[in-house]
Amino acid sequence: MNIFITVLEQGLIYGILALGVYITYKILDFPDLTVDGSFPLGAAVTAAMITKGVNPYLTIFVSFGVGALAGTCTGLIHVKCKVRDLLSGIIMMTALWTINLRIAGTANVPIFGEESIFDFSKLSASVYKVLIIILVISIVSKILLDFYLNTKSGLLLRAVGDNANVVTSLAKDQGNVKILGLAIANGLVALSGCIFCQEQRVFEISSGTGAIVIGLASVIIGTSLFKKIRWVNNTTAVLIGAILYKACVAIALKFFEPQDMKLITAVLFLVILVGSMERKKRVRRNA
Amino acid sequence: MRRKLFAVMLTLGLVTSLVACSGENKSSDEKVYVVGISQFAQHGSLENCKEGFIEGLRESGFVEGENLKIEEKNAAADQGTAKQISDTFVADGVDLICGIATPSAQAAYNSAMNTNIPVIYTAVTDPVSAKLAQKDGMPIGEVTGTSDELPIRQQLELIREILPEAKKIGIMYTTSEANSVSALAIYQELSKEYGFTIVESGITQTADISLAVDTLLDEVDCLTNLTDNTVVNSLPTILDKANKRNIPVFGSEIEQVKLGCLAAEGLDYIELGKQTGKMAAAILKGEKKASEYKYETITQPGLYINMTTAESLDIAITDELLERAIDVIY
Repeated sequence: MNIFITVLEQGLIYGILALGVYITYKILDFPDLTVDGSFPLGAAVTAAMITKGVNPYLTIFVSFGVGALAGTCTGLIHVKCKVRDLLSGIIMMTALWTINLRIAGTANVPIFGEESIFDFSKLSASVYKVLIIILVISIVSKILLDFYLNTKSGLLLRAVGDNANVVTSLAKDQGNVKILGLAIANGLVALSGCIFCQEQRVFEISSGTGAIVIGLASVIIGTSLFKKIRWVNNTTAVLIGAILYKACVAIALKFFEPQDMKLITAVLFLVILVGSMERKKRVRRNA
Repeated sequence: MRRKLFAVMLTLGLVTSLVACSGENKSSDEKVYVVGISQFAQHGSLENCKEGFIEGLRESGFVEGENLKIEEKNAAADQGTAKQISDTFVADGVDLICGIATPSAQAAYNSAMNTNIPVIYTAVTDPVSAKLAQKDGMPIGEVTGTSDELPIRQQLELIREILPEAKKIGIMYTTSEANSVSALAIYQELSKEYGFTIVESGITQTADISLAVDTLLDEVDCLTNLTDNTVVNSLPTILDKANKRNIPVFGSEIEQVKLGCLAAEGLDYIELGKQTGKMAAAILKGEKKASEYKYETITQPGLYINMTTAESLDIAITDELLERAIDVIY
C-alpha cells in the first residue's frame, strides 16, 4: 500500500504546481516558462529559511510571495517591455537560475536535521502523516483558487484569456490582469517547490528542470480526462491529473528497464490522452 | 458514458498494477537478501560504481540469483523520481538500499530515515556537506558509504612533475554542481603550496563550454578536470581545442585518460564500487551497523598516463612515472 502513498504525496505536491500552470496555460493562454525557475525558487527560499531556524510554516507564505514576485517580473517584462510571452518566461527562468543559487548559497542544501512542516505537526508518527499534511495544503490551495476565480477579479482573469476585448470594453487594463494572473500562478508554483523541498529534505538546483513539462502533462491529462464529468471541476481535475502522471512514472519505474522509463511514461501519457479524446464524431461518421 | 467508463477503467487499471507492485513476499529456506540500487543518472562513472558494487558483494559471498536479489532503478537525473524510487524500495521492504551519486543517496536516506533499512552510498564527493555524515566522518544515522573525493594533492604533485615550468592551471566547472564547487575550493587552497594559480571558469550548461574553453585557454598553461558531469561529457570538445594549441589537459579518472587526457592521479570507480560492496556485505551479514561505520575514501589513487597524447604534445614522461603508473595507454 505504501506505493500509493508515495504516488499520492508526489502527485499532490506537483498538483499545486499544476494549478499554477493551469492558470497560465488554460486560463490566460500564456505559455509561461518561468515555472522551471520559480519551482526551485520556492525550494531555495525554503531551504535558506529553514537552515536559519525560521518557523517552517512561515516558509509556505514567504515562498508564495517570492514566487508571485517572480511572476510579476515575467508579467512586467511581457506587458511593459512588450517582449513576447514565451521569451519573457525564458528570460525570467534564466535569471532565476542565478538568483536561486545566490539565495541557497550552493547547488545542494540538505535539511535533514532541521525541523520541517512534516515534523512540526502534533499528528502522531503515522505513515499517513506526510500525506495528510500535503493533502490539506493542496486542497486548501485548490479551494482558495476556486474561490478567487469566482470573484470579480477572478472573472476578469478568465475573460482575458477568452476574449481580451471584453476586458478592455469594461475599462480595465488587460495588462494588469495578466500580471496578476502570472503572479498567482508562479506563487502557487513556488509554494509547490517549498513543499517539495521539505518532503525531499534537500534543495537541489536541478529540481526545476522539466517542471513545466510535468505541470503541462498534469493539466492536459486532468482536463481532458474529466472534460465531460460535470461534478469534477477543472481544478480538481488538474490535481487528479498530477496524481495520474506520477502513477504513470511509478508503473514505468516498476515494470520496465530504467533506460526505457521516459519512453514508457510518454506512451502511458499518450494512451490517456487518446483514450479520453472525443470519440462521438467518429462514431457518427462510421454509422 | 464512454468517457466515464474509460476514466473508471483507467483508474482501476492503475490501481491494480500498483497493488501488484506492493505485494511481493518471499518464503524460502535460505534467506535471499534484496538490495535496491538507486542510481541517479546514466553516466559512465556511475555505471562503473554499480558494476563494482555488485562485484564487491559477490566477492563477499552475496551472489546474484543465489542468495541475493538486486533491484536496479535509474532516476534519469530527476530528483523527484529518485525519491519515488527509494520510497518504493522502502515499501517493498528491501534489506539494504544503495544510493549512487549525491541526490540519490540523499533521497534514499530520506526515505529510509524512520525505518530500520540501512542505506549505503557511493560516488558522493562530500558526505559531510551533503549532511550524510558528521564532521568526524561518523554517519548521522543508518547510512554510510564511500566518497569519490579527488586525490587533489597527488594531482598537483603530478602536474608539477610533468610541467616544471607551469604557473597557471585552468579549471572548468558547472556552478550548479555542489561536488565541483567543493573540489575547486580545495584546489585553490592547495595550489599555492605547489606554486600554481588556479584560473576558474564557471559554466551553467553544455552550450557554454565552447566559448569558455577558448577564453580559458588564452590564459593558462594547462587544464585539469574535476569529476564535473557537464564538463566531462563535453571532454572531446575541450580536448580538441586544447590539442590545437598544444596545451595539456589532465584528467581525474581513467575514462578521461582513455579519451585523450595526458595523465591523471585518479579514481577507479570500479574499485570504489567494490569497496562499497564489501561494506554493504558486512552490514548485511550483521558484522557491523551502518551507523557505526565511518565513510571511506579510496585508499590509493592510481596514476594513468596516455602516451599518445604525450607524444603529440611533445612532453617527456620520466621512466619513474611510467613505472609507477597503473595503466599506460598507447
